[in-house]
Amino acid sequence: MSMKKISKTGFGEFITHIINTDGNVYGVQAKTEAKGDRFAFGPLTSADDLRLDYDVTLSPPKKYLLPPKETLVKYEVGGGYESSICKCKSILIGVHPYDLVAIKQMDELFSQDEYDTHYMTRRRNTTIIACDVAKASPNVFASSMGTATVTDGYDILLTDIGGAYVAHAATEKGEALLTEAAPSAGDATEADIAARKAVQDKNDTGLNQHELKCGPADIPGLLEKGYDSPVWEEKAATCYSCGSCNLTCPTCYCFDVQDDVAWSLKEGARHRAWDGCLLENFANVAGDHNFRKKREARYRHRLYRKGSYIPKKLGGEIACVGCGRCVGACLPDIANPVAVYNQLLEETK
Amino acid sequence: MCECSCADKKDIYLPALATVSKQELLNDTEMYLHLQLDSGEPLGHAAGQFVEVSVAGLGEAPISVSSSPTQDGFELVVRNVGSVTNAIHNLKAGDKLGIRGPYGSGYGIDELKGKDLVFICGGIGLVPQRSLINYVIDNRGDFGAVTILQGTKDYTQRFFTDELARWDAMDDITMLETIDEAHPEWSGNVGVVTTLIPKIDIDLTQAAILVCGPPIMYKFVLITMKEKNVAKENIFVNLERRMKCGVGKCGHCQMNGQYVCQSGPVYRYSDLDNIPEAI
Amino acid sequence: MSKPRVAIFDFACCEGCQLQIVNFEEEILDLIGAVDVVEWREAMSEQSTEYDIAIIEGSITRPEDAEKLKTIRERASILIAIGACATIGGINKLKNNFDLDEVKEYVYGEDAKMPHLNTEMTMAVDEVVKVDYKIHGCPIDNQELAYAIRCLLMGKVPVIPDYPVCVECKSKENVCRWEYGEICIGPITRAGCGAKCPSASFRCFGCRGYIDNPNVDAARDVMEKHGLTAEDLKSKMVLFGSKQGPTI
Repeated sequence: MSMKKISKTGFGEFITHIINTDGNVYGVQAKTEAKGDRFAFGPLTSADDLRLDYDVTLSPPKKYLLPPKETLVKYEVGGGYESSICKCKSILIGVHPYDLVAIKQMDELFSQDEYDTHYMTRRRNTTIIACDVAKASPNVFASSMGTATVTDGYDILLTDIGGAYVAHAATEKGEALLTEAAPSAGDATEADIAARKAVQDKNDTGLNQHELKCGPADIPGLLEKGYDSPVWEEKAATCYSCGSCNLTCPTCYCFDVQDDVAWSLKEGARHRAWDGCLLENFANVAGDHNFRKKREARYRHRLYRKGSYIPKKLGGEIACVGCGRCVGACLPDIANPVAVYNQLLEETK
Repeated sequence: MCECSCADKKDIYLPALATVSKQELLNDTEMYLHLQLDSGEPLGHAAGQFVEVSVAGLGEAPISVSSSPTQDGFELVVRNVGSVTNAIHNLKAGDKLGIRGPYGSGYGIDELKGKDLVFICGGIGLVPQRSLINYVIDNRGDFGAVTILQGTKDYTQRFFTDELARWDAMDDITMLETIDEAHPEWSGNVGVVTTLIPKIDIDLTQAAILVCGPPIMYKFVLITMKEKNVAKENIFVNLERRMKCGVGKCGHCQMNGQYVCQSGPVYRYSDLDNIPEAI
Repeated sequence: MSKPRVAIFDFACCEGCQLQIVNFEEEILDLIGAVDVVEWREAMSEQSTEYDIAIIEGSITRPEDAEKLKTIRERASILIAIGACATIGGINKLKNNFDLDEVKEYVYGEDAKMPHLNTEMTMAVDEVVKVDYKIHGCPIDNQELAYAIRCLLMGKVPVIPDYPVCVECKSKENVCRWEYGEICIGPITRAGCGAKCPSASFRCFGCRGYIDNPNVDAARDVMEKHGLTAEDLKSKMVLFGSKQGPTI
C-alpha cells in the first residue's frame, strides 16, 4: 500500500473533502470550555477544528464502536423481537496507536466465540484515519506496553513530520480514500519516510511517563504469583468504587442490559450501556448476593482482567494499552496499573 | 477482524419466540413451564445448559433447562424472585416468551458414561439436575448405578413429587429424600441433605458426584466428600452467577478468568482450584 | 385493565419537582394517556381520596403534615417520593443542624411563637411512612420519573443507579471538577442525574443523596492530598447531606 506526503495546506483540503463527502466524520478537537488543553473525539464540521497535535482524549474512541448506550433489540410487548443494528458509516480521524491496539483487541473479543453483530457492524462500517502521537500526555506509558506505534489496525496512518504529513494507507479502503480525498498528494520520498521513522522511533521509547520495570509479557506471570499480595488491599483502601478507571479505559467493554417501554406500554427496546466491574453491585445475583463484595476483590479483578484473564482470550496480548487515562481519572490516585505491576515485581524478587 | 459479511450472522441478542404449552405452579415460589420454540425446531440443548428467558419490557433472566434433551419441547422451572420471573409466573398456556440459547457447557456426558452417578440436590438444585437424571434414565445402559439425594427445607416446598416417586419406584435407581424440619405429613428422613450420604451403599470414591443446591449446601457436601476420600476430579458442581448476556461478553458472570455462561455453570470441582472466586 | 389513578401531593418544598412534571410538555399527554391523574394541586382543581399511586414532593416539617402523609399512605398502594426534600430531607434539613427555637426566632422574628408558623425538625418522607420508590434530585429528572412510572405500569421495579455520579460524568467526558480546585462530592453521590452539574461546569452538590457504601477513607485521603480537611468536605456536604438517612 502507498505512502504519500500531504502538505499542511493540502491536508486541510484532504480533511475538508472527507467532511463534505461522508456522513459521520468524527475527529479529535479541543474541549474549549475546559481549563487547559483537553481533547475529545466529536463530530467534525471544519478541518480547522481538528487537533492532531493532541496528547490524549478524555474518552477513548471506543464510544463510536460500543456507544455508552445502544439499542440491541426492539419488541412488541407480548409479541416478537426485532434486531436493531446500526448500519451508519463513519470515519474517525486522529486515533492514536495505543487506541488502535485497544480497538483491535475489542474486534477480536466481540467476534470470537459468539459474534456480536452490533459491535462488528459498526466496526466494519468505520474507517480509521489514525495519527502518530505528537505530544506525550501526562500519564501515557504506551512505550512500556509496546503500543506506542503500530503497523496495522488503521486504514490510514498520518505522521506529522514537521512541514507535512506522511500518510500510509494500510487497507484498500484507506488507499481509495487517500486517492479520492488527496488527489494531489505525491509519494513520500525516502527523506519523508526517514522523518516518519524518526517520529515513531522517538515515540517507541518516549511515551513513558510511568515505566513498567518488566516487559508486558511478564505481567501474567506476575499476577499468577500475586493473587494474595497485600497490594490489593493497600490500593483498594482508598478506592471510591466509582468506576472512573473502567469508563475511561479503551479496553473495558463490560455492559449492563435494561429494557424500557414506550408510554403506550405496547412496544419498547432493550438497551445495553457501559458498566464497570469496580462498581459495588456489578457481581450481584438475584436475591442480592454479591459475589465480589469487597473493594479489593473488585480492584484486583480489573488488574487481572487487563493482565491475565483477557490476555488468555487474546493469545497473550495484554489488555492494557498504556493510554494512562485511568491514572488521570482516578481521584484517589490508585488506578495506575504500572504502579501495581511494579509493586508485584518488587514483592516477587 | 472477521472478514465475513455481518449480514450472514445472526444477532446473538435476538430472542426466538417460544410458546407455553403447559404451566403449573409447583409450590409457593416455583413455576413449571413446558415450551415449544415457534420455529418448530428443538431447543437442541445438552443436560445442564441454560437459556436466557426474555419478557419484553421487563428484561431477561438466565434459567436452567430442567428437561432432558431426549424429551419433546423443553421445560423450565422458574422461581419468583424479580420482575422478569414474576411475569413468567403470570403466564398461561398459549402465551409467548423470548428464548436465547441454550448456553453454557452443561454436564460433560462423555465423562460420566459408564460411571456410578450420585446426584445431590438441595431445594431447586433439583431443577438442572433433573435434565441429566431423565437423560440418564432414557439412556440407562450407558451409566452405572444411579443414586439421587434430594433435600428440601420444609415439606411444603417439595416439588416434582410425582416424578420423585416415579424415580423411587424404579429398580435401578436409589432415591433418598429428606426435609430439614419435621412435618406431620412427612414420615421420611428429617435433616439436611448430608445426613443422607451415609445411606448411600455404593463406593463413593468410584462414582461421579453431581451437586447442585444453595451455596451453604456445597460447603457441607464438599466437607463430607473429603472425609469420604472422594477425589475432587469426581465431583461436579453447578454454580450460580449473574449470567446477563449469556454469550461471554457482558462480564457479569465472570469469576476470575472464567465466564460462567460459557465454561459453566457446571464445573468439575478440581477445576475450581484455580478459580478462587468460585466458591 | 383500568388506568391506575395517580395523585400528586406537595409538602415543604419549592414545588420545583412538580414543575419538572409540568415541563414534560407534550409528553404529559402520554402520561395522562397511561394514568388517570386525580389530584395535582399545581395543575388542576380536582381532588380525590381514591388513588393507586401517590407521588409525594417535599419534606415533613409540621405534625399536621405527618398526619396528612399517613392518610395518603393508607390510601395508596404505591408511594413514590420525588425530589431531595422528599427523599432525603434535602435543603430543608439544614435547620436540623440548629436549635429549633433559634431557627424559628431567626426566620420569623417576633412572630416565631405564632401557631400557624409552627415548625418542627425536618423529616424525609420515609421517616414518617414507608416509601416504595425514590426519585432523587433537586430537582428531579423528569425522564427518570417517567421511566419509573412506566416500570410500575409494567409491573417492574425501576432500576435506579446505585453507583456514583463519576460514572455518568466520565461518560459525558467532563474534566473532573477537582482539577478546577472544587470540592466535588460526585464520588460519594448517587448517580442518575446524568452528571448535569459537572456538565454545566459546577461541582456536584450531592442532591441525590449518598451511595450505599461511600468510602470514607478515600474521601479523607483525597482531601489530604489536596491540602484540605474533613471540615472542608463537610462544609460542602451540609447543603443536601444534613442528617441524611438511607437513600435507597
